[in-house]
Amino acid sequence: MSLQKPIMRGLLAKRLRFHLPIAFGIAITVALSYKFGVTEPRKKAYANFYKQYDAVKEFNAMREAGVFESVRPSGK
Amino acid sequence: MAHPSQLGFQDAASPVMEELLHFHDHTLMIVFLISTLVLYIIVAMVVTKLTDKLILDSQEIEIIWTLLPAIILILIALPSLRILYLMDEINDPHLTIKAMGHQWYWSYEYTDYEDLGFDSYMIPTQDLTPGQFRLLETDHRMVIPVESPVRILVSADDVLHSWAVPCLGIKMDAVPGRLNQTAFITSRPGVFYGQCSEICGANHSFMPIVVEAVPLEHFENWSSMMLEDT
Repeated sequence: MSLQKPIMRGLLAKRLRFHLPIAFGIAITVALSYKFGVTEPRKKAYANFYKQYDAVKEFNAMREAGVFESVRPSGK
Repeated sequence: MAHPSQLGFQDAASPVMEELLHFHDHTLMIVFLISTLVLYIIVAMVVTKLTDKLILDSQEIEIIWTLLPAIILILIALPSLRILYLMDEINDPHLTIKAMGHQWYWSYEYTDYEDLGFDSYMIPTQDLTPGQFRLLETDHRMVIPVESPVRILVSADDVLHSWAVPCLGIKMDAVPGRLNQTAFITSRPGVFYGQCSEICGANHSFMPIVVEAVPLEHFENWSSMMLEDT
């Protein structure tokens, strides 16, 4: 019974064909995770914050808390 | 202001800083993509015994690793230039303030209508009241009207300083004999902190900047009160 001839050529190319798509796949997955895990939530957070932001109400709250030095609390 | 163990930028208080935040996220995403790819390739190269000593060239891969970086650079450059031109737009400021750097304090001059000027020294740590921030508070704050375009003319009296407020996305060098201009709009009322950002001597770390954004009528009351005091 004879042994099958082992593969003796193209080993590096075969390794590259195996690993490069995985490398690109992982890199793109990491980038997309950052985009949808950090970038988009941050954009939405800023948009939502200013959509419901009442500057007068926030200013008065900060004023009463004594945050400002140019404006004293009104005592209301 | 910054908080302990903070990694990222401070929350934006001006539209330009918001744009800079989003641009940084976009660029960092690209950085993570490239770094992950390179790290994987390095590990794969380190753990293999396979090499090909006879490779001389490969047109296909050389085209790929020339075009791909060029495309990535364009993807970074386009939003970058957009923000650069956004920052330079004619913004017709409602107020001009001169910020002068000295060793080791800032002075502010509001000379649009009356002659108002004052110095802004750091409050020493032993004089802080509870709730105040160490090395960040000043005796007089630079007060501005909220949601109004403000122009700041930055210069220095002696050595190089730099007027910086991170949450407004501003940093401008204060150079003796030179007038540098920057402009901003605050999106919300509040108190915004910064520190001198150019080494200027022994107390470089002890000349902070505090910007207080309040509604216009309160700004007018404050400036009248300051004029009466001086």
